[in-house]
Amino acid sequence: MSIEVRGVGKRYGDFVALDDINVSLPTGQLTALLGPSGGGKSTLLRIIAGLETADSGSVEIEGVDATKLPPQKRNVGFVFQHYAVFKHMTVAKNVAFGLEIRKRPKAEVKAKVAELLELVHLSQFAHRLPSQLSGGQRQRLALARALAVEPSVLLLDEPFGALDAKVRKELRDWLRRLHDDVHVTTVFVTHDQEEALEVADEIVVINEGRIEQIGSPDQLYDEPANDFVMGFLGAVTQLGPVRLRPHDIEVAVQPGVPGAAAGVVQRALRVGFEVRLTVDVEGQAEPALVVLSRAHARALDLELGSRVWLSPTTGATSVPLLGEVSA
Amino acid sequence: MADTRQIRARKGPVTYALRFFVIAYLAVLVVWPLWEVTSRTFAPVERGAEGGFSAFLERLQDPTVTYAFSLTATCAFWAVLINTVFGVGISLLITRYNFPGRRILSVLIDLPMSVSPVVVGLALVLAYSSGQGWFGGALESAGIFIIGSTPGMIMATAFVSLPLVIREVVPVLEEIGIDSELAASSLGANGWQIFRRITLPSIKWAVVYGVVLSLARSLGEFGAVKIVSPGAALRGETATILIQNRYTNFEEPTAYAAAFVLVLASVLALVVVSLIRKEDHS
Ligand SMILES: Nc1ncnc2c1ncn2[C@@H]1O[C@H](COP(=O)(O)OP(=O)(O)OP(=O)(O)O)[C@@H](O)[C@H]1O
Ligand SMILES: [Mg+2]
Repeated sequence: MSIEVRGVGKRYGDFVALDDINVSLPTGQLTALLGPSGGGKSTLLRIIAGLETADSGSVEIEGVDATKLPPQKRNVGFVFQHYAVFKHMTVAKNVAFGLEIRKRPKAEVKAKVAELLELVHLSQFAHRLPSQLSGGQRQRLALARALAVEPSVLLLDEPFGALDAKVRKELRDWLRRLHDDVHVTTVFVTHDQEEALEVADEIVVINEGRIEQIGSPDQLYDEPANDFVMGFLGAVTQLGPVRLRPHDIEVAVQPGVPGAAAGVVQRALRVGFEVRLTVDVEGQAEPALVVLSRAHARALDLELGSRVWLSPTTGATSVPLLGEVSA
Repeated sequence: MADTRQIRARKGPVTYALRFFVIAYLAVLVVWPLWEVTSRTFAPVERGAEGGFSAFLERLQDPTVTYAFSLTATCAFWAVLINTVFGVGISLLITRYNFPGRRILSVLIDLPMSVSPVVVGLALVLAYSSGQGWFGGALESAGIFIIGSTPGMIMATAFVSLPLVIREVVPVLEEIGIDSELAASSLGANGWQIFRRITLPSIKWAVVYGVVLSLARSLGEFGAVKIVSPGAALRGETATILIQNRYTNFEEPTAYAAAFVLVLASVLALVVVSLIRKEDHS
């Protein structure tokens, strides 16, 4: 195990930011810490890096108890949400910083910096100042700088949070490829479930200072431990006594399917290749949302006011409604 | 600076009236008195003798005058040095550490700005004079005299100009935040390395700016120093005290010459400050 977090708790005054967190992350894995804003993701990451001290519990990195080690002794690379690049140093100097602190020979530093700038595609910007880079380039610079010291773990706090959707997606793919090349144990924080599902080997879902579930993207998506995880990993809707994903609902224009709920199409919204229906289901306060492909919708000849019968598809992921008495 | 251009574009009678008013105000309050000082500085030493620059130099070459200026320079140098070191230290303490009494400290820092320098001088006498002071007796038995000697004058000057460096540095430290310092520490840098290589380059101009301001303030300090200094010629007479003494002793030309040097120093400081401002914003 590369990172062992045991019983970590953290309070700010009366507010419990983390409550008895236990996670172990194997060497070489890419893990996502996923959760809503204020859930305690950054706090956990900063405790692992030593930038924040836990009130209780222990952190072990590469078999060494790091609970009391200062950040500079932990050999972790940390990438901040807002880059935190050194504004007064050139790109190359930024990357060289950790190596110069370690008093490595000049030639070695130079070679390593060139190699890393190549890796993050910033070679031609080596002599620029960070202020002359775009947001995505700055973020790659921050990554190269963290990688330069060959950390045993790489911690990224919402590395792409401040970037626009397209650059985000590019960098996300790039991070996955980089990880496949470099294979350093990596933990990254995100509140974007798509990012976590797409990039991570394993996802840790954190909410209100507690871990809701740990598992592979498929496990989380197909077998959510509870209502919260299900809701956080994608859209959910209600159909009868269960909650399930809108694309896991079968639509029929004739009755006959056993257990199907009858309803009327209230709204139909076309978004790209899919059609989103809002169906007023009989005997249910909240309307059900249904997603189906455009071709499918056309085949069924659906329009506003159509009568439909809804049922969960076979093998649909669903969880029972929590804390609600069905009317 | 698009805003300035927009403001300038609107010219009307009000603008001209305002301009006239500001210029007249400055002339009456600043320019005219300073001009008087300057013209007297270069007046002939004796009736019939030549005026101008040589007269000015002759007045300054008086040993009591050179002594006064070198004493002022000494006091200013040490006061600025002390304030720079402590100022940066206190600024770091206020912005980077959380400790009980932090708010009180940051309020106390501004005290020297609001308290009259004379009061500062009296407080120092009260604390350190060998006769009645709280620590004076102990220091005296150790052979150290504060009041009535250069160390006391340095302390008075330092006290009065203490907030200037801090007031420049604290906002910059607050603005740059701690992320890059934390990043440096996770890259293996220790406290000193972080300060030297990350923090100091970011606050460099603020420190220089604060130093120039403190220097200008220290050179011109009068009230606090006057109280703790013996204030006699060649014995604790700084440039400002010299000006006061000469002026009251009807040796006005020397007073004007010394005053002119001080004016020159402050103008120089203003020029440096405006250059730094430009550098900082580029
Ligand atoms: N220094 C602090 N003082 C007081 N409360 C804090 C402090 N730092 C964090 N918190 C609180 O702890 C909780 C968890 O914060 P944290 O930064 O870990 O959230 P997060 O999951 O990273 O959220 P986000 O996605 O918005 O970054 C928040 O409610 C926050 O208000
Ligand atoms: Mg966060």
